[in-house]
Amino acid sequence: MKSNTNALKIAVTAVLTAVVVVFTMIIRIPTAKGYLNLCDVAICFIAFTFGPASAFIAAGLGTALADLISGYAQWAPISFVVHGLEGLFIALIVRSKSGEDVSFLKKILAGLVCMATVSFGYWALSALFIAGPAVALAEVPGNLVQSGVGFVLGLGVSMAVKRAYPPVRSLSW
Amino acid sequence: MNISTYISGRGWLYRLDPRAKILLMLLLCVFFFLPISLAGLLITVALIVVVGWHNTGKRNVWAVFRSILPMLIFMVIFSPFSGRGGTPLVQIRSFTLLTKEGALQTLRLAGRFIGITYVCTLLFATTVMGEVILALRFWRLPYKAALVITLSFTYIPFIAESFDRISESHRLRQAGPDERKNYIQRLKDLMPTLTSVLVVALRSIPNLAMSLEMRGLGRDEKRTSYHSLDSYTRLFTDLLISIIMVTLLWLIFKA
Amino acid sequence: MSASLSISRLSFTYQSWGIRPNDPLFANLDLRVEEGERVLILAPFDKGKTTLAKIICGVCPKYFPGTLEGKIALFGKDLSELQSWQLLTECGYVSQNPAEQFIATTVEGEIAFPLESLGLSREEMKTRIDRCLARWGLTELRGANEEELSGGERKRVLLAIQEAIGPKLWLLDEPFDDLDPRWRTQLRQTLIEKGKTVVVFASRYLAEFADLFDRTLLLDERRIIEMEREALLARFAHVGGDDLPNPMKTQQLSLASSHQLQARNVVVERQRHRGTAHQPFVLDVENFTLNSGEVVTLTGPNGSGKSSFSRLLCGLDEAKGGAVFLDDKEMSERQLNRNIGYLFQNPDFQIFLPTVEEELSWSLRRRREIKSSEVTRRVKEAAELFDLVLEDTPSTMSYPKRKALQAAVYYLLDRPFYILDELDSALTYHAALTIIARLRERGAGILLITHDHVFAKHVEGRAYTIEAGRLVQR
Repeated sequence: MKSNTNALKIAVTAVLTAVVVVFTMIIRIPTAKGYLNLCDVAICFIAFTFGPASAFIAAGLGTALADLISGYAQWAPISFVVHGLEGLFIALIVRSKSGEDVSFLKKILAGLVCMATVSFGYWALSALFIAGPAVALAEVPGNLVQSGVGFVLGLGVSMAVKRAYPPVRSLSW
Repeated sequence: MNISTYISGRGWLYRLDPRAKILLMLLLCVFFFLPISLAGLLITVALIVVVGWHNTGKRNVWAVFRSILPMLIFMVIFSPFSGRGGTPLVQIRSFTLLTKEGALQTLRLAGRFIGITYVCTLLFATTVMGEVILALRFWRLPYKAALVITLSFTYIPFIAESFDRISESHRLRQAGPDERKNYIQRLKDLMPTLTSVLVVALRSIPNLAMSLEMRGLGRDEKRTSYHSLDSYTRLFTDLLISIIMVTLLWLIFKA
Repeated sequence: MSASLSISRLSFTYQSWGIRPNDPLFANLDLRVEEGERVLILAPFDKGKTTLAKIICGVCPKYFPGTLEGKIALFGKDLSELQSWQLLTECGYVSQNPAEQFIATTVEGEIAFPLESLGLSREEMKTRIDRCLARWGLTELRGANEEELSGGERKRVLLAIQEAIGPKLWLLDEPFDDLDPRWRTQLRQTLIEKGKTVVVFASRYLAEFADLFDRTLLLDERRIIEMEREALLARFAHVGGDDLPNPMKTQQLSLASSHQLQARNVVVERQRHRGTAHQPFVLDVENFTLNSGEVVTLTGPNGSGKSSFSRLLCGLDEAKGGAVFLDDKEMSERQLNRNIGYLFQNPDFQIFLPTVEEELSWSLRRRREIKSSEVTRRVKEAAELFDLVLEDTPSTMSYPKRKALQAAVYYLLDRPFYILDELDSALTYHAALTIIARLRERGAGILLITHDHVFAKHVEGRAYTIEAGRLVQR
């Protein structure tokens, strides 16, 4: 499949964005900032299965839209940046030529980068734009847990999906 | 899953041109970060809340406040951490718990947070999403990006429903009479469901790409637009009003 | 007269994602359709009619990888030199499954999108959209979201889009399916209108429209076959398995135990979403009974509550007003979940795992009292019975095979009752009846939901229908 047609890129981005939105909103555990959710599972899945560009857009736009829809519009720009970068960084780290397996070391690195980006990113941007460094710190433990667990589940789901739906390889751009 | 942010109503905010509304929202958000007096900040926030009350109703205003209440409580609890070394306000024995600067800083942060929250939520509560996107396109959002956002909104309900159906199928296939489910088991059971949802979503991608092309995406003709914001006739006036309003606030309240 | 469509020596094979290569779908297929002709192509499911339509529209193998050979020309122009979006005014395709063609959030937006692609002025678009909405009875639904529409309404949206675009060649896949009689008449009129070439792929309800067509062809053995009409129809019936004996007639049932499922005084309610003109419906069920070994059919028009009732029967939704009883004991929702197997119309919602083997053994492995060797044995037996390969990947299997897998999963669950929702859509009658027969083997009671009256007649047994908001036995 030609993966560089406009229509396919648009289709992939749109559906993956919708996936991130649904994963963010479908299961929620309430906390101070908002909710603990499965968005990182979706983002890590996309980063492992698709390229950096799709991961960046789907992750950023998806979480921003989810914030918007859930009534947390004020967090949307921050989510866009933080999760967008999360998707981008992980995808860049685990990018491999034509489906060769990613080394365990790279996976660990990607996981750490994931947790760091989310926790630090939210902390920094919340500190700057929302409530100052001290309050922003309160969200860090929750973010660490969510991104860490999300990474592991995302990795697992990514492997399961590649087995369950082999044509996914031809969709990535 | 309710994905609509729109709350129907009939105030002047609904009649304001969406393109101007976006500008107004951005300018107000910037305003909150400028060096303005604390009193000015709080008055502006109060004004915004009143406008929101008048336009979208009491229930909506209260719902928004409730959603940010946890964060506000956190801010209050953490107020001892800011402004240390200032004039003491609350003291326990000889330990300064809270300084005056700290209290004021917290008040400013809280006010700003409330202001930004209402500004953002009011934009989406008084404007239908389709018009928001049209307004963004006016402000130079590329057509492809607008299309991606619109398509996402089409697919969110589909994927959410797939999740529900797949979860139900899970329920129907539970084997034994009384399966005790601890968290690990729940998480393990979630995996096939999530995998299945993703496969259903991924399988729709070639169809979507196919449909887009079969409906003409990519043609040489310049794409026209069926929907428009032509029903809003006072764009220039509204833009001017937005700019003037925020400029006035700045001039009046600057520190 | 020049040809609107000319295909010569077409071969196509889908890309294989597993170890075994795929069989070619078409080999040396030839087809020529003159301009203004109306052609009916009889095509049993799974012989490639959808693929052929997609190839003609230029989107296959672009989005559905495979190897393509041969020449295709549309109105004299070679397809390989054209892009699919250039075919917007040349060739239009109405899919059998409308949901896969939807891209907008409202009916109106759906019709507008291709018109925007054509660069039409807003006035022109408005005129065309209003006219086509009115023509297909969709004016009140113009702002509705596609999710809220019934199958028939969705078909009408696709047809309205075709009319608004006005392509020269219409490719329609089972267009009469799902439409109420009134709209079937209208579709007949639309197809006869001058100025268009029409190719319809169909496999059922043929009596209703076969007379409209200048030529009738058959898609079989990887190519198009042209024959004398009677012989063609006979061969088509044979390919579809219609001349095979009804598997249920020769069945010997072994009833280990006999149960009775009953719904008493239940009220099924459904709120329609906002934005449509539909009323929320209420369905009264005074008495519904299903016994072990029986096959009971439930027919009714689209949107009348058949699926909602089934969901209630298997405990996915709460029963209001009354209750569901098994052997005269009132059942909770969880108990119903475990006793009634509900096969959704869409099998992909009930298949989770990467291989057939894992799918079949999932439920069995969770029951600790069954030994591993026993699980393997039962799985093998089920795979043979339903003609499945254990190492296959469900997502790349054909639709009938996925339906068979879905049935096999439930067969292994060994429920006393099964509900089959629209089993016959996209399956030959014979394949559907075979699945019913196998599920019934151990004495299960079966509720079959369908809106195809012809199929219902193949099944002997009591029949329920929905009339004026009540479920009644006929």
